Amino acid sequence: MKRKILIVDDEEVIRKFLKIHLAKLGFEVKEAADGEQAIEELGKDDFDLLICDILMPKKDGWEVIKEVKSNSKTKHLPVIVLTAKNEDSDMFKGYDLGANYYMTKPFTKAQLLYGLRLMLDENPEEIRMQS
Amino acid sequence: MYSRACILDGFRLVCFLLSFRESRNKSNSLLIRRSFNLEDQDRKKVIITLRWTAVIVTSYLILFGKGRVTDLYLSYTLIIVYLLSNVLLTFLPKRWFSNLKLFYPLVLFDTGIVSFGMYLSEKMTTDFYLVFFLIIIFASVSRNFKLLMVIGGITALLYGCLLYSWGLLTGEESSSYTLRIPFIFIMTAFYGYLVQTLTKEKRQALTLSEDKYQGLFENAHDGIVLLRSPQWQIADINREVAKVTGYSKEELIQGEVFDLFIPEELEKVRSYFEGVVEKGEGWADDLSLRKKDGIPLEVDLSTRRIDLGDESFYQMIFRDLTGQRKLEKKIRESKRNLEAIFDGIRDQLSIQTPDYRIFRVNRAVIEKYRITFSGLLGKKCYEAYHQRTLPCETCPVSVTFQTKQPANSIMKIPEDNTTLQIFSYPILDEKGDLLSAIEYMKDITEEQRLQEQLIQSEKLAGIGILASGVAHEINNPLSGIIGMAEVALEEEDAAKNRGYLTDILNCAQRISEIVGGLRSYSRAAKKEELSPVDLNGVLEESLRMVQLASKKTSVEVVKNFKSDEKIRANVGEIQQVFTNLITNAFQAMDGKKGPLILSTRSLKDSVEVKVTDHGMGIPQKYLSQIFDPFFTTKNPGEGTGLGLNIVYRIVTKCEGTIDVESKEQVGTTFTVKFPAWRADA
Repeated sequence: MKRKILIVDDEEVIRKFLKIHLAKLGFEVKEAADGEQAIEELGKDDFDLLICDILMPKKDGWEVIKEVKSNSKTKHLPVIVLTAKNEDSDMFKGYDLGANYYMTKPFTKAQLLYGLRLMLDENPEEIRMQS
Repeated sequence: MYSRACILDGFRLVCFLLSFRESRNKSNSLLIRRSFNLEDQDRKKVIITLRWTAVIVTSYLILFGKGRVTDLYLSYTLIIVYLLSNVLLTFLPKRWFSNLKLFYPLVLFDTGIVSFGMYLSEKMTTDFYLVFFLIIIFASVSRNFKLLMVIGGITALLYGCLLYSWGLLTGEESSSYTLRIPFIFIMTAFYGYLVQTLTKEKRQALTLSEDKYQGLFENAHDGIVLLRSPQWQIADINREVAKVTGYSKEELIQGEVFDLFIPEELEKVRSYFEGVVEKGEGWADDLSLRKKDGIPLEVDLSTRRIDLGDESFYQMIFRDLTGQRKLEKKIRESKRNLEAIFDGIRDQLSIQTPDYRIFRVNRAVIEKYRITFSGLLGKKCYEAYHQRTLPCETCPVSVTFQTKQPANSIMKIPEDNTTLQIFSYPILDEKGDLLSAIEYMKDITEEQRLQEQLIQSEKLAGIGILASGVAHEINNPLSGIIGMAEVALEEEDAAKNRGYLTDILNCAQRISEIVGGLRSYSRAAKKEELSPVDLNGVLEESLRMVQLASKKTSVEVVKNFKSDEKIRANVGEIQQVFTNLITNAFQAMDGKKGPLILSTRSLKDSVEVKVTDHGMGIPQKYLSQIFDPFFTTKNPGEGTGLGLNIVYRIVTKCEGTIDVESKEQVGTTFTVKFPAWRADA
């Protein structure tokens, strides 16, 4: 059974290439363009990983993380913050809110894979092989 | 008739001589001198007249003496010789008569002639000779002409009485004997006059020198004390002594000279005077007089023996040193101060005359041009400093020479690629004329460079702030570019476009680095929150991030962590420091195996981190510049030149230090030390 990842980003291009990469790695990928959509998607399905942008229309990433971490159903869902907000304070805030990994844009595929490995407890060598 | 006239002449002469009044009073010495001068005019006349009288009297004696003249020819010859000698005298110039060289032979000659004449007169009885020589003796010992004439008169009279008592003044020979009486008197006058003249001559010379001495003595600006030896009694002092010591002349005279010195130095003073006796003179500048008010007076002292008249004295001359010494000391001090200031100024100073010749430079000039002062002295400044044949166009000194006003300019020196700021100040004399100019050369190369750097960093900080503001806007599309390029590279038909895609990816990476660099740069200036930072952890994390980003996994890394102490810093910043250092290390080891050594250890008050690579190394000439912003040896576009500057700024912000050692083709070690954060600190 394929593991499911939800990508939340208002930037379509980013969603697009993330989906390509992740699909190649054998994940099932769902997308959301803003925070509200993300919450909606999370309510509809169970996910193995959430990759979430911060600066988004309607509901920002902070709100999304807060809701995910305060919901008993999604509390254990690993969250990777993937954002252009690269101040230390932002990173601390992300971790404080319960994010599991904080990645700043721009990033390479290698960095993405490293994050995935950390979150999904997979053998990183295996992931590297697959890439 | 003639003899009467002669007798009359002789009488007038005697009156004249008697009227001569001598005075030994010094205050009248001018008068004496005048009378001497007057007499000088008449001396020749007097002497010749006196001799005429002597010739006549002697001739009388010879020709009219009783009895026979043994040798008539001899008698005549003698009279003629005597006569001619006097005639000869009348032709001699007047000034010869004040010459002693004429006087002595004259006296000798006359005495001889007269004695011989007396002998020829055949009446040369012993008594007559005796009286004659008695007269000569009187004349030579007498100091008073008047008294001598009285004695001469009395002698003549007594001899007359004697002749009378012998019954010689009567009878046919009487005239010859009677003649002896005026003869004696005239001879007294003759010798008396000669001797007196000589004595006065000497006295006049003495008076003159005494006057001179007196004038020098009293008016001298140095204190002079005349001392009698061996008691060292004060015989006389001059006005200056009284003025300087405060004692009056009366208080000091007859006192001992030792009382004039401060009692503490008595031994020294005594040995000084013993030395003076031994050598006849002596000098000292370490003795002090005691003034009347008890205040010591440092003096420069010299004493020598002098002979005044028949007496010997010691003449002690002193000069007050107190004022002079103080003044000299002040001058020396102020000279030293000025020299110290002059040489202490680290910029170059040189003083030049209006023809640009150097006559004074400070040490900075000597050091800068590695030349001795004598090598510069007298050279023209543009020759010595700039190897030119004409003054520099922008020389401010020439402006000062023309306007007498300070001037300044900035000169670029192409020889050593430095920039000098040159100030010029005039040195004027009291009249306001220009004597010389001070040229003050300040090397502002470094200052200018820093200034430029500062402007650059200000600009950069501005860009940084802007960059962090728009980082989000840039980084989102940048992520898209990178992401999509990577996707495209993975497509099955990517092979033909691989080169292009790789270029796109690299360009995007560069943008990413620049934006990141600028953001970090602005952040390095900000005050961040401080917390205990675990260096080993940060090093691990940084290494991981760099390894991920650079994809260079083949480099061997050795970790040698010997300290687990924490430092007080901002974790993000410290991570930035080591990320940059490790990134550089990886780049330096491009194509090499390494190893890269990361080590930590605890020092006394600090924690030391070393990042050692075995890469290409940094050329020596760049070592001093590597921390400068925008300094890079990488190709344009490959590095911003900000990395190490950010490192430097963060380390110094944390009160740490950073050093670098490098050897080309061997490797580079960066050593960073941070103050250790200890609980009790």
